[in-house]
Amino acid sequence: MDLGLYIAATGMVAEQTRQDQISNDLANASTPGYKSERTTQSSFGELLLSNTATGSPIGTVGEGVALGKTVTDMTPAGMQDTGQPLDFGIVGTGFFAVKTPQGVRYTRDGQFSASATGQLVTAAGDPVLDAQGNPLTVGANGRVAASSLGVHEVPGATKQGENLFSGNPSGKAAGTVRQGALELSGVDAAKAMVDMIGSMRTFQSGQQAIQAIDQTLQAASTQVGTLSGNP
Amino acid sequence: MLEGLYAAAAGMEAQQQQMDAVGNDLANVSTSGYKAERVGFSDLLYNKVNQAGTSTTTGAGALSRVIGRSSAQGAFQQTGEPLDLAIQGEGFFQIKSAGKLALTRDGALSVDGKGQLVTSDGSLLDPPITLPAGVATGEITISQDGAVRAGTRTLGTIALVSVPAPDHLLADGSGAFTPTAASGAPKAVSGATIHQGALEGSNVDMASEMTTMVSTQRNYQLASTAIQTQNQMLAIANQLRS
Repeated sequence: MDLGLYIAATGMVAEQTRQDQISNDLANASTPGYKSERTTQSSFGELLLSNTATGSPIGTVGEGVALGKTVTDMTPAGMQDTGQPLDFGIVGTGFFAVKTPQGVRYTRDGQFSASATGQLVTAAGDPVLDAQGNPLTVGANGRVAASSLGVHEVPGATKQGENLFSGNPSGKAAGTVRQGALELSGVDAAKAMVDMIGSMRTFQSGQQAIQAIDQTLQAASTQVGTLSGNP
Repeated sequence: MLEGLYAAAAGMEAQQQQMDAVGNDLANVSTSGYKAERVGFSDLLYNKVNQAGTSTTTGAGALSRVIGRSSAQGAFQQTGEPLDLAIQGEGFFQIKSAGKLALTRDGALSVDGKGQLVTSDGSLLDPPITLPAGVATGEITISQDGAVRAGTRTLGTIALVSVPAPDHLLADGSGAFTPTAASGAPKAVSGATIHQGALEGSNVDMASEMTTMVSTQRNYQLASTAIQTQNQMLAIANQLRS
């Protein structure tokens, strides 16, 4: 009986995590090149119940919901024209390479600017690299040719914040660079809202299941053993 | 659970900053030589949630910051005034504001009591240009390369300068910018020209500012709805033992 309590609780915990991720997605609805996240949910291993007297199997019972891997939706989002000469967007797949103090990282946020030494840098001040891995220099006219930016395919890139992804590049990406444009955030507001409502109601269902089990336990602890059935 | 609350709150704060920038841009839609602000958003740290051997990540929200200013050319307004100057192309006028070097694109000049050319807030051009006694402002001609002449006499040259990283210039609030270590030192630019009798208008584009404002407000609302939902979920959790 009390197994059900914990099964319902695992479901509620899983929905909390899902809700945290939806909140993060919605907070990043304006972040250029942001990719939304989902966590897969799977069931824990099932238990086989058997009759203790005869040993014959009765059936299985689940153990609740386990959180799986976080999946980042890498689908390229739409482009927003900004007209700024140092804004770049990748049409199609691929990432810009950025040299950070922690090593080379990858980003799809192409909102760059010039540094005091004339290099093309990200908002955090890290140099943007060309296809050969060298820093790019902003020309005297304040521009950088879109074709000079390196675009790398990074399979299985993982997020690490500040719009950066880490991973190992392999091969040339299919995407092309567009100047004066930024990739929009990959957050679909309508879908996020629907997911949020669904998640909240699932959370509530877990609560209802726990309350129902609680009432049954209450009955068991107070009514069973009284002769009248009415304590 | 509470992480999501704070992630959404960080998102609201980021949108608020974007709205501040839009407000500032719209207030300066008529300011000569004003350049619209560029706001950049980024996501924040990711936490690993370890449960039953799996690693799930949840983010901590969003951050926004002013990356710099739009370099787009503002529209020219013909004024016909001999001391109104507009710059076409990259570059700034170099001025001395309270003894310190500063840069501006606001070329509404006038003559002070000593006959020197000053900007609208009284800062001297650097190098200074003095009109000899008896020369009226109407006699002054300023060529595209900045040479200031009264009749056939050359009075000086207005220099156009720029810095390697104009996005890191410090706005001092009077339409002028101060060079910083991050922007680099000013040096002469080529390719830009000076136009006499015109002023460069603000480069704020009303249509795109209004669009940004609408989307900012909606995204602010989305994040606030996320907080409300999380609040409802906390209430549901609180009612577990009803």
